[in-house]
Amino acid sequence: MTKFSNGVYLSTLTKLLVLLVVAKALSLVLWAYLPSEGVELSIKQNYQPPYQRVDFKNMILTTKVVKVKQEKSITGINITNMLLKGLYGNSSKGFVILALKSSPKKSSIIGLGEDFSGFTLQSISSRSVLFVKAGKEYVLELEEVKNKKSYVKRVKKRVSVTAVSTSDEPNSVSRKDIASYAKNPKQIWRDISIREVKQNGKITGFRVNRIAKNSPMAQLGLQKGDIIIRANNIELKSYRDALNIYAKIDKIDTIQIVVMRNNQEQELVYEIN
Amino acid sequence: MVKKIVKFSLYVLFFLAAVLFFIPKVSLYYLAEKELKKYDVVVSNERVDDRGFTLSINSANVYVKSIKSANIVEINIKPFLLYNGVNVKNITLADTAKSFVPLKIEQLNIEYSLFNPLNITANAKGEFGELEISVQVVERRVHLELQPSKLMLKSYQNTLRQLKKTENGGYVYDKVL
Repeated sequence: MTKFSNGVYLSTLTKLLVLLVVAKALSLVLWAYLPSEGVELSIKQNYQPPYQRVDFKNMILTTKVVKVKQEKSITGINITNMLLKGLYGNSSKGFVILALKSSPKKSSIIGLGEDFSGFTLQSISSRSVLFVKAGKEYVLELEEVKNKKSYVKRVKKRVSVTAVSTSDEPNSVSRKDIASYAKNPKQIWRDISIREVKQNGKITGFRVNRIAKNSPMAQLGLQKGDIIIRANNIELKSYRDALNIYAKIDKIDTIQIVVMRNNQEQELVYEIN
Repeated sequence: MVKKIVKFSLYVLFFLAAVLFFIPKVSLYYLAEKELKKYDVVVSNERVDDRGFTLSINSANVYVKSIKSANIVEINIKPFLLYNGVNVKNITLADTAKSFVPLKIEQLNIEYSLFNPLNITANAKGEFGELEISVQVVERRVHLELQPSKLMLKSYQNTLRQLKKTENGGYVYDKVL
């Protein structure tokens, strides 16, 4: 014991202890400057109801139509005497081509908010228009839709072109196209190029930088410069949000995409067949 | 004199070992996580254990841009200063990658040694086959050599087309970062 306390061992042990203390002190200094907790993925679990398309307007308008047939105009011209020969626009802008059944060749072009025989044009949907007279609403359907097939075709074509921004009717997209994209994801990037749009470091949407003409993506109605901000009621604030929708594509029958185009929100609705 | 040098060297080694033992490895790992976060890579739900000289991370989910990209059963980090290694076992890539590569990677070993300071080497083995990776640190050049598995050759020709075929049936890929 005496030998140990006086010998080399004590000196060596002391030096080793000093080295240990210095090492520990160094690690404590380092520890003080390093973060005390790691990064965990935080996903805001904001509940957003699943997208469901309910055509309330049609439900309401159907009952109105019954009403319309019983209504008589004070001026002698009632809504059933009118012919809706053509329409273009939506609830906020557009015009219609009207004529009276008694003189079908004499057409009048009426803009939204304008009068025709006391009836004020209130809004335009894809196959009918809404008039207001004396506080009552009247619906006039596109007569040619029933009678002239060629006309129907032309109107449908026009509607599908403008459907991107104006149609209330959902267009359809093939499930086969979606399946082919799933099998060959590279085709997606050949057809479309998107990039996130950030504000204050947070993703607010996805901008379409390039889109191949005649591709299924282009047929969806997406255009270069569109910023996709919402799909099926879900705000696209991360790649995860976008991918989640794609992952559920087999289980949904309708897809709704909201894009910012020319600083205006536009809704694209598609049925997946 | 020699005795003194040996003695001094032993003290230095002891000091380095003590530093390695006491260094806050978990906190350093948290710092690495914060750096990865800048590139939208998040390692989440993992269990981190300081095992004295090594750091063990278990059951980690890796998210890239908030999308779950991989699950890793075990990561073992060896920060030995002169020799540093990362051993990763049982990686399962997310389903979104299944069009590009097979999803199971059995192991991935990354090594960096001060004896070869200009290169980082790595190798991986999985359903895709065997992969050798080297990164030239200064030139920022990445070189990959793949010996593809039968599954890779049969079902992932699209991915293999991105690589250059070699005479021995392997594939190489070079990229400057």
